[in-house]
Order: sequence, then structure tokens, then C-alpha cells
Amino acid sequence: MWVNVWAVIRREYLQRVRSKWFIIATLGGPLLMIGLTGIPIYFATQGEEAERNIAVVDGTNVLYDRVAPGLEDGGYTVQEVRWHVDVVTELRERTTDGDLGGFILLDELTLETGEAVMYVASNRPSGLRRLTIRSTIARAAMEYQLEQRDIDAGALMSGGELRIEVLSEDGASTDDPAFIVAYMGAMFLYMVIFIYAVAVMRATLEEKTSRVVEIIISSMKPWHLMLGKILGVGAVSLTQMAVWLASGFLIMAAGIPMLIAMQPELAQLDNIREILPGIGMLFLFLGFFICGFFMYSGLYAAVGAMCNTDEEAQQAQFPMIMLMVVPIMFVMNVIQNPMTGLATGLSLFPLFSPILMWARVAGGGIPAWQVALSFVLMILATFAIAWVAGRIYKVGILMAGKRPTLPELWRWVREA
Amino acid sequence: MSDSGYALRLEGVTKRFGKHTAVSDFDFEVPRGVICGLLGPNGSGKTTSIRMIMGILHPDEGSVSLFGSDPDVTRRTKVGYLPEERGVYKKMKCIDLLVFLAEIRGIRRAEGRKKAGVWLERLGLSEWSDKRVEDLSKGMQQKIQFIGTVIHDPELLILDEPFSGLDPINQDTLEEIVRDFHQKGTTILFSTHLMDQAERLCERVCLISNSRKVLDADLKELKAAERKGIVAVEWEGDDRWIRGPEIDRIEEVDGGLHLILHDGADHQEILKRGVESEARILRFDLVEPRLHDIFVRHVGGAVGDAGMPANAGVGAA
Repeated sequence: MWVNVWAVIRREYLQRVRSKWFIIATLGGPLLMIGLTGIPIYFATQGEEAERNIAVVDGTNVLYDRVAPGLEDGGYTVQEVRWHVDVVTELRERTTDGDLGGFILLDELTLETGEAVMYVASNRPSGLRRLTIRSTIARAAMEYQLEQRDIDAGALMSGGELRIEVLSEDGASTDDPAFIVAYMGAMFLYMVIFIYAVAVMRATLEEKTSRVVEIIISSMKPWHLMLGKILGVGAVSLTQMAVWLASGFLIMAAGIPMLIAMQPELAQLDNIREILPGIGMLFLFLGFFICGFFMYSGLYAAVGAMCNTDEEAQQAQFPMIMLMVVPIMFVMNVIQNPMTGLATGLSLFPLFSPILMWARVAGGGIPAWQVALSFVLMILATFAIAWVAGRIYKVGILMAGKRPTLPELWRWVREA
Repeated sequence: MSDSGYALRLEGVTKRFGKHTAVSDFDFEVPRGVICGLLGPNGSGKTTSIRMIMGILHPDEGSVSLFGSDPDVTRRTKVGYLPEERGVYKKMKCIDLLVFLAEIRGIRRAEGRKKAGVWLERLGLSEWSDKRVEDLSKGMQQKIQFIGTVIHDPELLILDEPFSGLDPINQDTLEEIVRDFHQKGTTILFSTHLMDQAERLCERVCLISNSRKVLDADLKELKAAERKGIVAVEWEGDDRWIRGPEIDRIEEVDGGLHLILHDGADHQEILKRGVESEARILRFDLVEPRLHDIFVRHVGGAVGDAGMPANAGVGAA
């Protein structure tokens, strides 16, 4: 009996995974991500090859040794030029000749204020490079000043440390990394649940309009066909997400250090890794996705079964779209005020849970029992939807003619 | 398997769509091992009946039984069903589609693959095995679908207009395969409006018209019973002998003449007149009624001008 469910799952999975679009979307996603972030960075740091050779004239005699390592980390080849009367003229010539990419003048004022002058041939350094050079010089000056006063420069300069003690139960504010995870995660959940639930609807509709279903239904129960479709599409979605998540982690874990090794001035990128959610959050995310997918794909399968054309299905899926838009409308609010009655209530409603409960969890600080309860409710809802949708599917999948009205639907559910 | 002698039985089956009654009080049975034609004009209820047999529609009244019991999924799996509206997964490779269709009927993949290979070979589609179904011509797609119908060696074949849309060569190929299955003991029910095909293939025919069963009989017996009063004649010379009180009318068929006699008239009288006349008789042949004629005779009155004779045209040309 389950053999043919398995056959349906297998067919659905292989057909989809082998399709061009799946391959393009699955591999294209990460490539696009790499492209969108990597290419601008690449171009920002390229094209200055000839200008990397710079000279530093240190009028203070204390800064050069502190500045040079920072500049070298930033990708420059640095040489020290002793101060003498004609030094600027000489270096100007060497720069315009192309011998040097440019030179930096450090003097007493630099020690006081961090101000310095950099001469370049023609191309201004990119913003990123300017920042690197500026901060290197400023750090050097600060370090010197602190040492003069016998202060532990190392600890202070490394950026100090801030421990956070949360007193209220307020949620994440918009500049908090947790906010980004909560918000982006909710949007991503919305997107993937929607895309794959609609895929189930389309598959159902296609089977119905192409009349294949008559042959299949003569050999298996409609309910089994529906289950096979949903599980098959679900497996495809998990495959795709596995690829996306794995490549995302790879980019974060291996790509960024690699990039930093190649382009040391990108060291700030390392901060991105701090906002990465942990493995526990990852499983939670998948949990919300799977529950959301089952609930919505059941509903969408029923819609597909009761319609005959794409246009009809477009109209008939409207209630489902409303169901998905409501949590998106509230997601901001819920992340920022996760403990209000509204947030708690909405996020416990099973059809909203995948998005809103996720947003609350990822934003931080909500009781675990609420998360557990939402999963229990979602699982119960999944069974309830499967029961109703299965009955609609059973009648609808073999039905031609006009779309049923609500009372007719109710009769299908009762009588099937 | 049950002991029932019938592969298929319908009792008092009625199906209405709104005010329209598609099938009315239909009693029908197909004994095991028999090849049976379900004949009728378009819109007479053939497809509706078949869809009720396959559980796609549910009768409003009456009951359907397969192999002596309820037509549940297990029993339906022993049926090879070719629907009237052909459907395939167009994006699949032919071989994958066939293996899938075998698999949902409980055949293991490896075995399904082997069977599919044999069938593709037999129908001359081997080289298309790895092509997508959508890349095949309509006729080839239809053959693929036919393979999908029979790949699990069903005990009962139900074919809804299996020959429509095929060229004569492929019609013959299919006919031959149907005969093979019949020889192996498979029960076959097919609907058609191609009378000569039905005549060649069927042992039994069931004729429905206007949602009602008109005839349901063994074809040989039917023909014997319906054999009355058609004489094919050829002669040279005097033609007065073919006129007489026995003769209702004269029809020209295939270049020769058919004398249609009045009911109960004796052809012997005509022959006697012929022999005594100046004419030289070359042929005097009692004609078996063609299924076509039987059909028209029974349906003609019932359907009035529902277009049956046109549809029932010999081989629908």
C-alpha cells in the first residue's frame, strides 16, 4: 500500500530535482549571494595593484614602526623615507613617475589629532582603503599617547568588552543582530513555505488538467496520492534548503576568513559571523518550516484539486494568501514587543506560528513552553488540515466543471 | 481472486448529471476471458459507464462489482484502464513514466523497467525510451500510454476508444496486442464507435443508446438472429427477376446489389424466379448482417437524428 505512495514521492522528487529550474535556483541562490556581496568587494579592492607601493615619511620618529604593520596588513608595501628638506619634492616626482603609488606624511600634528596627509598619483584610494589607512594611523597615535601615560594600551585598543544584563522582557531593537535573524528568518520562512505550498497546488492542478490522475487514482487512494505529492515536494524543499544553508555556512565559515586572508583590509567582515544563529536555532527554523509547509501545502493541495485552470486557482488561493500576509504584517511589532498578549496570541495560532513564533524566539527572551505549545498546536492543525483537505482532494481531484461553492465544499468534506 | 464467473458486473446503475441522465438503469456483465465491445453513439453513456467501473464516478443508483466484489483499489489495480482523455506526465522520460505506472500497481522497479523495455521494443519505440514524452508524436504518446495500461499484466483491460487517433498500421498493431491478451485469458472491455473493429474483435457486444442498454449479446448469436433477408446478387441479362413482392428495396453496396427482403419473405422464391428467367445468375449470396446494420437498425429509431449513422459509418473511414 505504501509502495505506491513511495513511488509518487520518488517521482515527484526526482522530476523536480532533475529539472533545470531546480538546479538553477538551488545553485544560483548561493552564487547570487556570493556575487552580490563578493563582487563589489572584489572591485573595491582591485585595480590599485600599481598603487600599493607607498612610502611613509615619519616626522615624529615614533609612529613608523606602529603604522607599517597595519598598512602591510592592509595590502600595502611600505617603505620608510627619512625626513629631509626636499623629501616632498622627491617623493612627488617618484609618484608621478609611477615608481610609487603614493606617500604619507606623518608629523607632530598626527600625534596630537591623528591627522595625516596622503599624496597619490591620480586615483583616490577606495573608501575601504581610506578607512584602513586612517584607522591604522589613528590607532598608532593613540597607542603611543597611552603608552606615554603608562596605560595598558593593548586591552583598551582591542575594543574593550561589554557584558549585557537584560532587565526587562523587551524584544530586540532593530540594530540588534537578533533582530536581523528574527526578521530575515521570518521573511525567508514566509517565502519558502509559500513557494513550496504553491508548488504542491500546481502539481495537483497539472495532474488534474492533464488527466493523468484518472489513471493514478484507479490504482491508489486519493489520500495516498496527496500525501505522496506533499512529501515529494517537501523533500525537494528540504534538499534545496540544505544546499542553501550549507553553502551559507560555508561562505561564512570558510569564505570570509579566506577573503580576509586575500584582502586583509576586509577584516571587519569577520563581525558578520557574530550574528550567525546557532545550530539549535537552525533546527528550530527547520521545525517551523516543516510544520508550516505541511499545513499550507495541505490547504493548497485542496485548492489545486477543486480548480480546473490556473486562473481559477489564482482566485481560489486568495484566502491562503491572506492567512500568510497577516503574520507578515505583524512581524515587526512582534519582534519588538514579543511579550504582549497580541504577540503571544497571534504567534500561538498554528497557521501564523511558523512566522510569528519564529520571530519571537529568534528575537529572544520568550518562555520555552510557548514554543513547545506552538509546535503541539501546529502538529494538531496539520492533522486537522490533512483530514479536511484530504476529503476535498478526494472529491475534487476527479471533478470537472465549475469550482465548488463553500456549501458544496462542506458537503464534500462531510460526505467523502 | 473470487469464484465469480464475471470479471465485471453492473446492476441497475444510474448516473445523473443535474437534470441529464447519463446512464439509466444499466445492467451489464462481462464474463471472464471474454472480449466485449461497448458500442454506442457519442454521448450515449459509454465513458460515464466506464468511469463508474473505475471508481472515478459513483453511481447514483445501482452497484458495480469487479471480480465479484467491491471495486476497491486492490481490485482496480488488477485492471488496465485506458481513459478516453489521454493523460501523461509530459516532462517525464518514456521509460521513467512506464516504470512509475508499473510501480503504483505494485510492480518492483527493476521488473517494471524490464517489462517496459520489452513493450517499447514490441511497439518500435525502443529508441525513444530516454526521450521525454512531450517530444513524441501524438500517436507515439498514445502507444506509450497503451503500454502504461497493460504493463502490469492486468486481468481485465478496460479501454475507452483505444483506437481513435491512431493510423491504420498502429490500429492493427494494437488490435493484435488486444487479441494476444485475449488469448492469454485476459478479459477485455473496450468502447468504440468503429463498427468494423468491434466486429473483428468482439465476442460479445453491448449496445447503448440514449443512456439505455439496447442490446447485449454474443456477437455470433446476434448475427444469426439478425440474419434475415439480405441477398447479394450479380447476374447478366434480364433484370425483371429481382422485382417481386418479397423485396422491400434494393441497395447498391460495393458495386454489387443487395436485395433487402420484407420480414418473413423467402429468398427461395426470388432464386426460383431468377433461374426461370432469361438471366444468367453469377452470385446469389445470403449476407450476414454487418454489425453496422444491426447497430443502425437498433439505434436508428431510438436516437432519431442524434447522428448515429454518421458516427457508425464503416470504420468511420
